[in-house]
Amino acid sequence: MTYYLVIFAAGFAGSFHCIGMCGGFACALGRDTSGAAATVGRHLLYNAGRLTTYCFLGAVVGALGAILCTSRGLAVPVLNGPLDGAQRILAIAAGLLMIAMALQFFGLLQRFQGVTIGFGGSTLALSLRNLLTSENRAAPVAFGVFNGFLPCPLVYAFAVQAASTAGAVPGFLVMLSFGLGTFPAMLMMGGVGRMLTPVWRQRGVWLAGSFILLLGLITLGRGVLPFGAHLHAFPHGSPG
Amino acid sequence: MTERDANLCSHCLLPVGLRAMQRTVNGEDCSFCCYGCCIAFQVKHGQNEEWDAAWLLIRLGVGAFLTMNIMLISLLLYAGTFSADPWLIPWVHLLLWIFATPALVILGEPYLRETWAQATQGRVTSSALVVLGVGAAYAYSVFATIEQSDQVYFDTATMVLMLFTIGSYIEAAGRAKAARDLEPLLAAESESATVVEGGTETTRPVRDIAAGVLVRVRPGERVPIDGVVIEGESHTDEAVITGESRQIAKRAGSPVIAGSISLDGALLIKSSGAGSATRWAKICRSVREALSHRSAIQRVADNVVGVSVPFVVLLGVLTVAYWSQSMAFDRAMLIGLAVLVVACPCAVGLAAPLATSLGIGRLAHCGCLVRDPHTLEVLAGTRVLAFDKTGTLTSGTPRVVGIESEGVPTDELLARCAGLERHSEHALARAITLAASTRGLEPVVTHDVRALPGRGITGKADGQPIAAGNNVLMRELGWQLAPSLSEPARSLEASGHTVIYLGWEGRVRALLALDDTPLAEARWVIEELKRLGPHVALLSGDLAPAAQRAATAVGIEDLQAGLSPEAKRAALDRFRQEYGVVAMVGDGLNDAPVLADADVGIAVGSATDLARETSSLVLPPGGLWMLPWIITVARKVRSTILTNLAWAFGYNLIALALAVAGVLQPVLAAAIMASSSLLLVVNSLRLSRLPNPIPGAILEPPPSAEPDSVRLGVAVMAGPAIERG
Repeated sequence: MTYYLVIFAAGFAGSFHCIGMCGGFACALGRDTSGAAATVGRHLLYNAGRLTTYCFLGAVVGALGAILCTSRGLAVPVLNGPLDGAQRILAIAAGLLMIAMALQFFGLLQRFQGVTIGFGGSTLALSLRNLLTSENRAAPVAFGVFNGFLPCPLVYAFAVQAASTAGAVPGFLVMLSFGLGTFPAMLMMGGVGRMLTPVWRQRGVWLAGSFILLLGLITLGRGVLPFGAHLHAFPHGSPG
Repeated sequence: MTERDANLCSHCLLPVGLRAMQRTVNGEDCSFCCYGCCIAFQVKHGQNEEWDAAWLLIRLGVGAFLTMNIMLISLLLYAGTFSADPWLIPWVHLLLWIFATPALVILGEPYLRETWAQATQGRVTSSALVVLGVGAAYAYSVFATIEQSDQVYFDTATMVLMLFTIGSYIEAAGRAKAARDLEPLLAAESESATVVEGGTETTRPVRDIAAGVLVRVRPGERVPIDGVVIEGESHTDEAVITGESRQIAKRAGSPVIAGSISLDGALLIKSSGAGSATRWAKICRSVREALSHRSAIQRVADNVVGVSVPFVVLLGVLTVAYWSQSMAFDRAMLIGLAVLVVACPCAVGLAAPLATSLGIGRLAHCGCLVRDPHTLEVLAGTRVLAFDKTGTLTSGTPRVVGIESEGVPTDELLARCAGLERHSEHALARAITLAASTRGLEPVVTHDVRALPGRGITGKADGQPIAAGNNVLMRELGWQLAPSLSEPARSLEASGHTVIYLGWEGRVRALLALDDTPLAEARWVIEELKRLGPHVALLSGDLAPAAQRAATAVGIEDLQAGLSPEAKRAALDRFRQEYGVVAMVGDGLNDAPVLADADVGIAVGSATDLARETSSLVLPPGGLWMLPWIITVARKVRSTILTNLAWAFGYNLIALALAVAGVLQPVLAAAIMASSSLLLVVNSLRLSRLPNPIPGAILEPPPSAEPDSVRLGVAVMAGPAIERG
């Protein structure tokens, strides 16, 4: 449980990053003319769409991780413990990726950022533009779904974490925790963003980076450290 | 835009075929070849206020939302999350049903509509497989929910639909990329121009523009009409029309051609002809026609797809029947669904047209026009390349380099000869008329002029018959050569000159010696072609010595000279028997039947219109140097088509075998199908990365020209050249 709480907290901290990126979309979604309740409904639908995408991504990459780990070719027989060779390799790769992404949040490894962000976003952005102005009641759901697929280093970092759990359900839960973590800030969207000065927003981003760095180091540790030294607070491959 | 869409997809510019979908986007009628193109086009071009485009995206988004939730809930079901509370499971199934029904309606509607539309016309297409499979999984799951049984397959039903939709979208996006090179060429008919009239600017379709209209072209815009710059300065890029890759500076008085892009300045242009009569418009029509043809390989592939669907349905039913003997019906049904999904022959139909349209676009981008997709496939397998000489390997602009006569003054005989030859558009004729006009001579009025292809021209001047042509013509006429001329005639012909015999009043009075120089790049082109493999030959109507001189200069060993058009065709037939597929490169009037007779007729730029009509590939003026590159492109296109087909069939068969064996999950099968089409697109898109042709050869200096005779110093303008013999 602690594990998912940590991810939830990381998601919450990371949502200050979201305010900079996706918050703009959330603001653009704006208010509903038929009242406050309708506005809240609109944003709930939008966030539900986003959360669904995250969870789905988590389940898919988790399942991919599981496939990687159970395929015969990769599995190296290990003497003791539940971690086989493939899972170790996956954990090391995921840990390194997360650390690399965390460094981006501190303004390092900018070249890497180009790779993570400049990937196929243009079509998605086009669809988002179309959806933003639609009056349709269901548009925010669709908007949220597409928004969730927008290239974002934060989402990638947690997707990598989800993959390292090597299971569809734990992968799903990782992204669910992360997505729920981003909920409060995104729901309040512009509100928090405007209240927070850029300095505080920057601190939030650093905090998110620290969380990702920590998770990355732990994940890396799972792959590198001998079995006895594992942090038992963060079980892998099982929910909760 | 409506015209253009009559037979090509608005999005990917491939023929719409039988599965055409009609939609109105931004107030214009568009047709699409598939659902994917329909989505992709609307996402790309649909404007904010356009209700349709947004509605489509909303449906996709909501469909994805429902599908993903169904998937996640099913995941929890499979993981045994609810095993502690079994009373919950029927309720979860009910929830899945509630989610799945709108998802199925939203995502499945296009497939259902297509199936219905085709079924009413007595056809079964691949969408019927999707509808059948998904419908069965859904119907079973509804039944299972009501019966409160253990397993439902709402996740499979919706996920298969979602994957098919995503697959077709990605495929369409790839196809649009493939059509990028073609867009400027096909734009001619839909383009509009900014017309300036009495100080006001109005937008009008190009096809309505007549000569003498003022048209404004802003920087970055395409010049919509042929004309002359009235005011403004700019650089233009004419690559699409002429193959010229350099930027050309234009200022007041400069001619501009339709289809070129004004790069950096605004221009005011006065049109010199109708908007629908430009080379650009002609290219546009030609390219569209080429794209709407199906090649032989494609026809076979389409037929296979056409007959395969009923078989696949049968196979699916048999698979279910077989497996239901050894396992529960629902498991057997899933295997049947996987069979239906994986056997969907979407990729096969895409294998050839995508590669061909990319190839045509790639060539068109450099000014080379392909009339028929079949041309590329045939050209790739060409074993013999036969060249015409004049105007193809040589500059085609012969000059009069010497005159021998029996005492007739040069001016008189040039004036007489020019009077006859000005009725011909033959290059030799032009050389003579130009020689006369540079000397300020008035051509003698000549009547009853008749051109005799391969021999010369006859007519009447001052009531007396006059003739100019080769010695065959003189022999036919029975006109004798004066003894004083026979020796010079022999030596001129021996040294490789074209000799025109000029005679009147029953006698040959003079000899005009003309010469032509090989193109600077010809030698390099021939070397490159030989390196590529085909046998290279020269089929010339000229006398052997002249042809020999040119052949030696460009490096062709196989030479046949003195051929009439009929003899050239016979020579092609011999080549065909000896080697196989024959391509003929030429440009002349006399070549037209020969070009038409070859398996691939290639006309080089300055060709007369007739030659272009009969050739299946047209190179831009001065485009001979692109020939090796074109053959490389054609070979790449063919190998891409073949690998595509091998892949599409192979992949389908292996996946089908796995599905029948019960190894493949339906969702995985759908993912495999989507990725199969995607792989074809990616494989074909490699063609767009082929390097541009490099004019490498043109650095070589041209071989030194004619060493002898009285030089008149007549330079002749570039123009159509025709073999004469």
